[in-house]
Amino acid sequence: MNMRSKRGALVGMVAVGSALALALSGCSRGGDSGGGDSAAASPGITDTSITLGITTPLSGATAGPGTCTVAGLNAYFGAANAAGGIEFGDGKTRTVEVKAYDDGYDPQKALANFQQMVSDGVFLETAGLGTPTNRAFREAAIDEQVPQVLVQTGDPIFSDQQESPWQLGFVPIYQNEGSAFGELLATSTAPHKVAILSQNDDYGQGYVEGFKDAIAGASNIEIVGEQTYEATDTSVDAQLTQLAGTGADVFFNAMSITPLAISALQKAQELGWLPSWFLPSNTSSPGAILQPGNATAFPGVYSVAFAKAPQSPAYSGDQDVVDFLANLKQYADYPDVPAFPHCMWSYMIGATLEQVFQKMTEPTRDDFMTQLRTVSDFQAPLMLEGTSVDTTVDGQPAVSTVQVQKYNGTGYANVDTFG
Amino acid sequence: MSRTADFLAHRWVRLAIVLIVIVVLAILPLVLPVFANQTLTRIGVYAVAVLGLNVVMGYTGVVSLGQIFFVGLGAYVTAYGVVNDWNIVLVFVAACVFSGIVGLVIALAAARLGGLAIAMVTIALPIIGVPLAKRLSDVTGGSQGVSARFSDAPDWTGLYNDQWQLYIVILITAIAFVAGRNLVRGRFGRAFAIVKENEAVAVSMGVSPYRYKVLAFTIAALFGGASGFLYMVAVQYTSPETLSFSHSISLVAAMVIGGAGSIVGSLLGGVYYVLVPQATNAIDPNLTTISQGVILLVILFVLPGGLVSLPRVIRRLARRARPPAGGIQEEGTVRPPSEGIGEERQAGPPAGGTEREERQGQA
Amino acid sequence: MGTFLQLVVDGLATGSIYAALALAIVLVNQSTGMINFAQGGMAVLSAYIAYVLTGWGVPLILAIVGAVVVSFALGAVVERLLVRRFEGGDPDTAIVVTIGLLTLVTGVCAWIWGYNNILFPSLFPLDTVDVLGAVVSIRSIGTILTIVVIMVLLQVLFIGTKLGLALRAVSFNPQSAALSGLPVGRLLMVGWGLAAALGAVAGALVAPELTLTPGMLDTSLVYALAAVIIGGLNSPIGAVVAAWAIGVLENLASVYIPLIGHDLKVVVPFILVFVVLILRPQGLFGRKVVVRV
Repeated sequence: MNMRSKRGALVGMVAVGSALALALSGCSRGGDSGGGDSAAASPGITDTSITLGITTPLSGATAGPGTCTVAGLNAYFGAANAAGGIEFGDGKTRTVEVKAYDDGYDPQKALANFQQMVSDGVFLETAGLGTPTNRAFREAAIDEQVPQVLVQTGDPIFSDQQESPWQLGFVPIYQNEGSAFGELLATSTAPHKVAILSQNDDYGQGYVEGFKDAIAGASNIEIVGEQTYEATDTSVDAQLTQLAGTGADVFFNAMSITPLAISALQKAQELGWLPSWFLPSNTSSPGAILQPGNATAFPGVYSVAFAKAPQSPAYSGDQDVVDFLANLKQYADYPDVPAFPHCMWSYMIGATLEQVFQKMTEPTRDDFMTQLRTVSDFQAPLMLEGTSVDTTVDGQPAVSTVQVQKYNGTGYANVDTFG
Repeated sequence: MSRTADFLAHRWVRLAIVLIVIVVLAILPLVLPVFANQTLTRIGVYAVAVLGLNVVMGYTGVVSLGQIFFVGLGAYVTAYGVVNDWNIVLVFVAACVFSGIVGLVIALAAARLGGLAIAMVTIALPIIGVPLAKRLSDVTGGSQGVSARFSDAPDWTGLYNDQWQLYIVILITAIAFVAGRNLVRGRFGRAFAIVKENEAVAVSMGVSPYRYKVLAFTIAALFGGASGFLYMVAVQYTSPETLSFSHSISLVAAMVIGGAGSIVGSLLGGVYYVLVPQATNAIDPNLTTISQGVILLVILFVLPGGLVSLPRVIRRLARRARPPAGGIQEEGTVRPPSEGIGEERQAGPPAGGTEREERQGQA
Repeated sequence: MGTFLQLVVDGLATGSIYAALALAIVLVNQSTGMINFAQGGMAVLSAYIAYVLTGWGVPLILAIVGAVVVSFALGAVVERLLVRRFEGGDPDTAIVVTIGLLTLVTGVCAWIWGYNNILFPSLFPLDTVDVLGAVVSIRSIGTILTIVVIMVLLQVLFIGTKLGLALRAVSFNPQSAALSGLPVGRLLMVGWGLAAALGAVAGALVAPELTLTPGMLDTSLVYALAAVIIGGLNSPIGAVVAAWAIGVLENLASVYIPLIGHDLKVVVPFILVFVVLILRPQGLFGRKVVVRV
């Protein structure tokens, strides 16, 4: 080790160090996105196109509904693009590009996807499924002033304008659906005993809370049993056994897992317990759940909905449904009849977004949010009579009214009273 | 010895390299784009978690499928502290110490059991942790989770949020990695290695497997808690999903892919954990599962020793390409790779060398 | 009393789902010394294959047989091409390879058949019988009986046949087995093939109840692993008994111990693991393994 090699090495190090410093300072730092001059266009929108982002579970346990959330959106905008694009309120016609990201129902990945979306330059985020995933980047969206709108979770926080100025929920809050059925039950004057089985999370708790609020005053309705289950459970036999033992004549179910709903239907029959059932909107598909579960054995199976069920024979001739199924097949690579309502809900979200786009006079996120809150009494395709999109009410999501329906062996029919 | 090793043997060379790294880390957040900073932040979070896992599983040979539980625990403690307005340094210490204590208690009970039984106990942690987090909703916010905003850049720094968060993560990650490296290079590291090799031999040498397993597990839990704090710095929200069992499996996979029993490997593991989902999303968001499976298997097929063994494998291939200059060349070493900034794996006992060779003979 | 018996009977049925998977895990472990995290995923793939066959008009029984044959081949091929490389090496790496395999198989199933819940036809009718006041479905009885038959067959295979002895020899000490003239490579393939075939039966048994989706057996895998460890890694009887115990005790704990309730009932299998292994480290029915230093 002589002096020359030492010095040579030292020179080498300094050279490497300076080269690194130079190279890194040469990296340009992208400016922060977000609000700015309101006249200049926001990221994600040009004169000819607008880009939407969606982060949703496309893998894992919730991938079934998650895939539907993307399919519905692609179906709607695929058809709209094929027809030439959407005419915005500023006179320009733009095509809509949808960028989907898989978050596997992991909040950390949802945030990563959101950050990626911002970096990739989307105009807004929409239609994502899941409460924890949407919550994970809710505040980041507020910071970045990126709309996170028409999300598919019934969590009330998204529709509270104070808490979430850049957000808006789409589907009814869970409490609304629960109370809709509670109100129906309250129309009956006969004494009723109610058994409750709910998923052990904010979804199940919201349903039960709404239901209990709606029957609070009725002295002829008594809750005789209340059990919970985990979304990861293999079976709900034990809970069914317990609840069957209460002798209840009404069974309020806040279940979102398809196989568990089917096995619950079967188990109740095996145990000889035949109450009237309530099932939530996302687990009420006639083809996927009620027929395998032999639901006609029960005196009544009720559900709430705001979307037409494509499997229902009643709608086989309905133009909306026919178009919807064709668009799903052609533009969303989804050839089967949907087993989850999220396909229909996403389709409606697309239609609602189109309404807002048609009102926008400036290509900015600020203007989008302003116009978003002006949609009222909009009957999106596939919506049931009596329900509509209304974004003007603070504290309520875009859809807040639901129809209570009763299963008639092949599909659903609206009902006003219980029994 | 190769020329690189010669070069790196000079102490002042290593010092200069360390200085350069510090300078680079100091200016990096200021020049990189926002998304790059955010990605590096998340890489730091999981690199610390994988480092903890490496201490107990890679170095000491105790299978732990519950590391994510401590990450979640640290995150929840952080959230609790922030919501109750504790001093931020206190929050960090609390996250680490609380997780460490829980890990200690669990290890004291479980370390006496056989290998597979310990694995089952560690599996129990996230699987019971999720419903427990839901049940203790007063403290944890239940299934809706809890938001804790505290890592926005203070005004006096003049930094953007992503830069501030990256600085915090860089600082804590660096501390964790330096601490981890010193740990495994010292007396404890040698003891861990002996316990992993052969417990009977360890006992005969006066090294108590039970005691060192408990120590390793506690350290893993401590690092997990620190990782949970960093998680909250990066995400500012936690829910029961933070500690779900599937993440534990992903952490183990990240550890092996990065390089088990290697400090640099832990960093690479963190890189793998964060970048692969982003990469598979870019390939096709509908096919993330199949892409991730393919990537994992391809990497392991080509590099069974993990990504950190890449330089070693390249060197071996280069040596095979060059005809040997006479005599028998040094055979493909069995030591896990020691490239990088003059870092070496602690020397194991010479007797252990041959057994390791047989075990890793497949590579 | 009626509730108690009902819970026990239902627990046996649920436990049989875990037992089916546990038996396959025991088989792979006995023949190759590895814990295969992908066992559930491979069983699901087999169930999908059976489903495709029924879609082509093949009667259910034959479809299952067909899936069993195809799965045997698949298992053998996976061992030869993928797992062989890692068998003698670092056990942690081998575990992660099976994790990668699980991810890949799940991804392939999702890619081909999507994530929707597919209704798989049941081998048994959907009727029930009355047993001492408790209602048992024919499907549950059928599942339990099939599990018992498989368990007995496996036990006989390992203890009574030359093939079983050869499989165990190969996994215990490959070098000695090779020196004794055993075709080590082929036996490893047979071991994995048999496990995959068993997994096919398991998948077909449980798919009617769980509905066919790529992640169908993900939760059951953890229970199956617990059952294998409680029962003893090398005992088919132990695995099945432990799986039943888990199913029954979980049900009973969730109903009769309010502190545990339905959300924390998952602690039961782990408490069992802990208790059994402290008292009997080799598992309930396991053989003590002596390691010479």
